Amino acid sequence: RWISDTAMSSTSQKHKEFVAEPMGEKPVMALAGIGEVLGKKLEEHGFDKAYVVLGQFLVLKKDEELFRDWLKDTCGANAKQQRDCYGCLKEWCDAFL
Amino acid sequence: MAEFLEDPSVLTKDKLKNELTAHNVPLPSGEHKKEVYVQLYLKNLTILNNKKIPPVDTFSSDEELSTPVVSNRSRSGRKATKKTDKPRTEEVEVTELTDEDLKQQLAKHGVDTGPIVASTRKVYEKKLQKLLDEPAAEPGAPTDVTTLPKADSNQNGNTNSDNYSDKEDEEIPAPELEPVPVVEKPTRSRGKAPVTVRTSSRRQTKVVEEVVLEETPKKASKSVVEDILANEISTPTGISATCRRPIRGAAGRPLKPSEYWLDESRVQRTVHTESRTYAEMYSQPSSAVCSSKAPARRGFLSLLLKLLLLVLVCGSLYYAYQNLSSDQVDALKGLLDNVVIPVQSAVETAANYLGFSSSSGSAIVAPDN
Repeated sequence: RWISDTAMSSTSQKHKEFVAEPMGEKPVMALAGIGEVLGKKLEEHGFDKAYVVLGQFLVLKKDEELFRDWLKDTCGANAKQQRDCYGCLKEWCDAFL
Repeated sequence: MAEFLEDPSVLTKDKLKNELTAHNVPLPSGEHKKEVYVQLYLKNLTILNNKKIPPVDTFSSDEELSTPVVSNRSRSGRKATKKTDKPRTEEVEVTELTDEDLKQQLAKHGVDTGPIVASTRKVYEKKLQKLLDEPAAEPGAPTDVTTLPKADSNQNGNTNSDNYSDKEDEEIPAPELEPVPVVEKPTRSRGKAPVTVRTSSRRQTKVVEEVVLEETPKKASKSVVEDILANEISTPTGISATCRRPIRGAAGRPLKPSEYWLDESRVQRTVHTESRTYAEMYSQPSSAVCSSKAPARRGFLSLLLKLLLLVLVCGSLYYAYQNLSSDQVDALKGLLDNVVIPVQSAVETAANYLGFSSSSGSAIVAPDN
């Protein structure tokens, strides 16, 4: 376990909190990498809840490249934000899906 | 390939459409003028004709066709004008493709696509565009594409396992090696059991094998041959059995030194028969040498002392019985009485203190009957 901890040492508190439990009705800003600005943009596109973004993630078959591209196109997330969001959703899926 | 018409307008519109679809040319949705299909035909299929014609003639025909090709390029928004000499056979406009066609095109490049819905369409279009921008000159592209999702899926599935396996690999050698020098079981089977329980992966079993091989020279192996073989097996791996004093009382090791004492006594008894001692000494090289020497000796010594003491006492009694005269015996008896009476009085007082019956006390008091 200590190896996985060191590998995941870069995950934020937000990430840890998100992957710790079912997302339920959490807002899209609860996702790691998605702050206020990006969250607003996603909401404008209709992705107002975290589970909607999850839906998009799943429809893209959890593909990293596609999902990151989509995120960039939709809300203008930078590489780090894309990576954080992808990682967060992926880990959530691994745990709960 | 069939020879395509230079002037497709001779065909009917339906025929043109059929030809186009037969050769995988995407048709614009809805009904268009025949001219549109003619153009498509020329653009996509007549080009194929030019492939067979010697290059001298292609220049002229290329000029006619290059303009629409160039315009196509600009229309599709490609900034990098890659001037390839070979005529482009697949000139598809990703945004004009239907969902099905987009999916097919991506599948041609080895991309496993999910459903192409409103929200995913754009992403897939971009992907196809990227793939088309990298022509077959990069053979790695399709393979990259194929490996990417696979790698992702592998990552999805295996990162954890990788982590776990790393963890296993790192964790196991440490605890595996620690108990090995410490735990020296007298029986080989007992030594194997806890080790194998912990193991599950290949590496672990390898360590187990090493552990087992390590332990064999230490343990009391039955035969000389086995012992030699075990030693031979272990040394090539670099793991040699170092004779260490195991901790007495540690897991599995008998606390009583009697076991060792017995072994050693056995060894001593068989000193007379050379062959037996030879075998035993060999069979228990470790037990005699590496196993606990000091505690065995101590135990042995104490037992010996006790035995000697017992022998002395018995001997003296026997001597007394045999040799002493009746006078001496009486004297001894008197001495004994001198010792016994105060003891009895002490006992009586204790009894009185405790509240025993006086009759029993008086019975004890009067010994002179």
